[in-house]
Amino acid sequence: MSATVGNVKFKPGDYKSTLNPVWCPGCGDFGVLNALYRAMAQLEIEPWNTVILSGIGCSSRLPGYVNTYGFNGVHGRALTLATGVKVARPELTVIAVGGDGDGLAIGGNHLIHTARRNLDVTYILMDNEIYGLTKGQVAPTTPTGDKTKSTFWGNPEPAVDPCELAISTGATWVGRGFSGDIKLTTQLIVDAISHNGFSFLNVMSPCVTWRGDDQFKALKEILAYVPEDHDRTDRREAMKYTREKGVLTTGVLYEVKGPSFNDRLEEMKQQAMAGRSEPTTQEILATFFPKF
Amino acid sequence: MPTQDLTIAIVGSGGDGVVTVGDFMAQAAAREGLHCMKVEAYGPQIRGGESSCTVRISAVPIFAQGDRVDVMIAFNWADFGRFRGEILASANAVVLYEADDQTPREEVEPHLGTSEGSRWIPVPFTRLAKETAGTALAKNIVTLGVTAELFGLAREGLLQAVTKKFSLKKAGVLEANLRGFEAGEAWAKEYAAQVADKHLEYTRGEPMLLMSGNELSAVAALHAGCRFFAGYPITPSSEVLQFLSEWMPRVGGHLVQTEDELAAIGAVIGASFAGVKAMTATSGPGLALMTEMLGLAAMAEVPAVIIDVQRGGPSTGLPTKSEQSDLWQALFGSHGDAPRVVLAPADVEDCFHATVEAFNIAEETQLPVIVLSDQFIAQRRETLSIQTLDHEVIGRQVPTAGELADYKRYRDTKTGISPMTWPGMKGGEYQTNGLEHDEAGRPSSMHVVHEKMNAKRYRKLRQVRDRYSFFRTYGPENADLGILCWGSAKGPVKEAVLRANGRGEKVSAFVPQMLYPFPNHDLRHYLRGVRDIIIFELSYSAQFYKYLRTFEELPDGHTYLFKRSGGKNLTVGEVEDKIQKVLEIGALRREVLV
Repeated sequence: MSATVGNVKFKPGDYKSTLNPVWCPGCGDFGVLNALYRAMAQLEIEPWNTVILSGIGCSSRLPGYVNTYGFNGVHGRALTLATGVKVARPELTVIAVGGDGDGLAIGGNHLIHTARRNLDVTYILMDNEIYGLTKGQVAPTTPTGDKTKSTFWGNPEPAVDPCELAISTGATWVGRGFSGDIKLTTQLIVDAISHNGFSFLNVMSPCVTWRGDDQFKALKEILAYVPEDHDRTDRREAMKYTREKGVLTTGVLYEVKGPSFNDRLEEMKQQAMAGRSEPTTQEILATFFPKF
Repeated sequence: MPTQDLTIAIVGSGGDGVVTVGDFMAQAAAREGLHCMKVEAYGPQIRGGESSCTVRISAVPIFAQGDRVDVMIAFNWADFGRFRGEILASANAVVLYEADDQTPREEVEPHLGTSEGSRWIPVPFTRLAKETAGTALAKNIVTLGVTAELFGLAREGLLQAVTKKFSLKKAGVLEANLRGFEAGEAWAKEYAAQVADKHLEYTRGEPMLLMSGNELSAVAALHAGCRFFAGYPITPSSEVLQFLSEWMPRVGGHLVQTEDELAAIGAVIGASFAGVKAMTATSGPGLALMTEMLGLAAMAEVPAVIIDVQRGGPSTGLPTKSEQSDLWQALFGSHGDAPRVVLAPADVEDCFHATVEAFNIAEETQLPVIVLSDQFIAQRRETLSIQTLDHEVIGRQVPTAGELADYKRYRDTKTGISPMTWPGMKGGEYQTNGLEHDEAGRPSSMHVVHEKMNAKRYRKLRQVRDRYSFFRTYGPENADLGILCWGSAKGPVKEAVLRANGRGEKVSAFVPQMLYPFPNHDLRHYLRGVRDIIIFELSYSAQFYKYLRTFEELPDGHTYLFKRSGGKNLTVGEVEDKIQKVLEIGALRREVLV
């Protein structure tokens, strides 16, 4: 695994597991997976010190395809598992992945609170605007009016913009990518993992089976990049690239620096221990003798 | 003739300081080395409303709260009315009540259960407080003076408790309260002779710990090496979260108050997957939310400890009161076939041993373990000896270097237990999931894989049953009557059995502390030695009785059931009453048959 070729510690292929993806040919998630392999190689991430966690859905199968420690959990709860891993073992690289139904519908509450805490994990949301695994029902990011398997008369609900939600609930790094642009997505994943705090990356990842080839084409037509002079530390400026009409801006939308949840917990621990060794059970029990 | 065992109940409104009185009495008793049990009960109000506190103090070991109180202190009979049927006094009880409360005695007495031998003494609690301390707020401290004088409570300890509480308040407050205490004592002197039979007699011993089951569970987790806790506040389990929020960082661990119980169990599974011993604590509604991920822990074979402090249900139910009705949820709650272990502490001290054992089993077998506590043992405070609170700690089985060379996370071993790596171990990387998977952890929907892996996961339970079968028995080996119960019902059952044995009656009890897997061989052995059986439980639908019947044929015509809803703790009197009836039936039957 750690065999080095020239100056390269890891090649993207080193992160590939022996499991073959169950995804449909042409699925956008392949692009995200390849971008992830490349980003990890670029960051020289050690597989044994990395955990990738997910919920349920097509994209949530991803941890099985990466040669790190991985956990494909239950629907909507990827970030809860990630919270336990990262809080208990802050030194590990922790990445959560999943789809729009998993992260924004059933798991929406956890996204809000993980962002608010600024837990130092990266969350990659593969957004295909549909429920793929259950074969084509409406999702929180499906545009209003779209006909799906569960909206016979058209979708009566407005869609959520995941980036707007993440910025407004406290994520300290928010980006938008497109699985058709692996170079861009790789760079975004590198940035997201390097960020100290909660990094949220929404990757538009078309579903060729339930949204058709048109989704790729339609996205390509409206795709734009954040201008070079965009002030990503300005929340109002970042919000301009959410809920856009007729255009979809990719790149790093928002980034602010500050202590992560892990930094705060560490500080608290230092304060609580105050340089003392761990108290024994007998010492803890002794605090329950009558206090007078 | 003084007494060795005294139970005092105090009832009032939220602002009356009822709980403070009980707390001071209990702490003073613990300081003297006396045995003590303190139970509090409240209405559902957040502030104010009725509250009661029952303190049993004894020179000899006790196993239950006193179900008929010797001394009843009422600041207000209207508040007492809201505990109707829950607080009963002994026939010859001493009743101290606020002299200003004009409620006629005949309106109260039928609910209290006293009779002619009782002594009703109106006490000017409020007037004495106002006159000596300058405020009615001090009436609870006046009460301490009155009771110390009348019943021989440790005066020195009570005074120190008062001093500690008020010494940091602004000038004059402490002095005022001390005057209140002394005024209570002085007032009571003239009645002391009337209540001499309730005067506590004891010799002073080593100070005891005073702890609740929740506090002890929390300390036990730290003892077991738990270094991660995630939880969501819920009555009556929140003390575990609160205690650990202070102590977890002190031992170098971490705690997260999550957004809900789903996140709490998720974080626990995540931390444990990452190699850190982890726990959550909740009550019935929270366990219901955790149930899906209980199945995940079973499927992915991740050790997890869940404390369920039961309260009355279903739904929001009776949040502040005890019941034993989460049994089936703990035993069977899950979709699919999800093995787990269920332990049931039967008293406060048990919360320590059961919690440490839960970690040992979880780590060794990579199973979720539920510790099924309840409000009665979790929130009452009891005196304990620090000496008995120790327990062996066992860790996780990790692969050897040889096993790592060809590592399969779910290797199908003879015991079903597969060595487990965690992140950071090079060569031990694996991808797990809630999907059925093969030995390498690769997802599979094949029937043969599912059958084989189910068998592997269930095989682990055999290790638990063989090695951890624990239960308690009380009374003689062969008995006319055997009692089966679990959890907090043990206290009153044990006390009733010992009393019956004291009268020469052949009564025994069998109390399993592991409910799943159930120690059926031990139960079968026990049942061979008893003639009639009574099952005691606080579950309206008799969950324990029905559970026993799923694997044991209880003898028809010889099996009796005492079951009722919770909301009121099981009392020694209820157990004794049923014992007497069944003993009589047994005797009659034998007479007829002979």
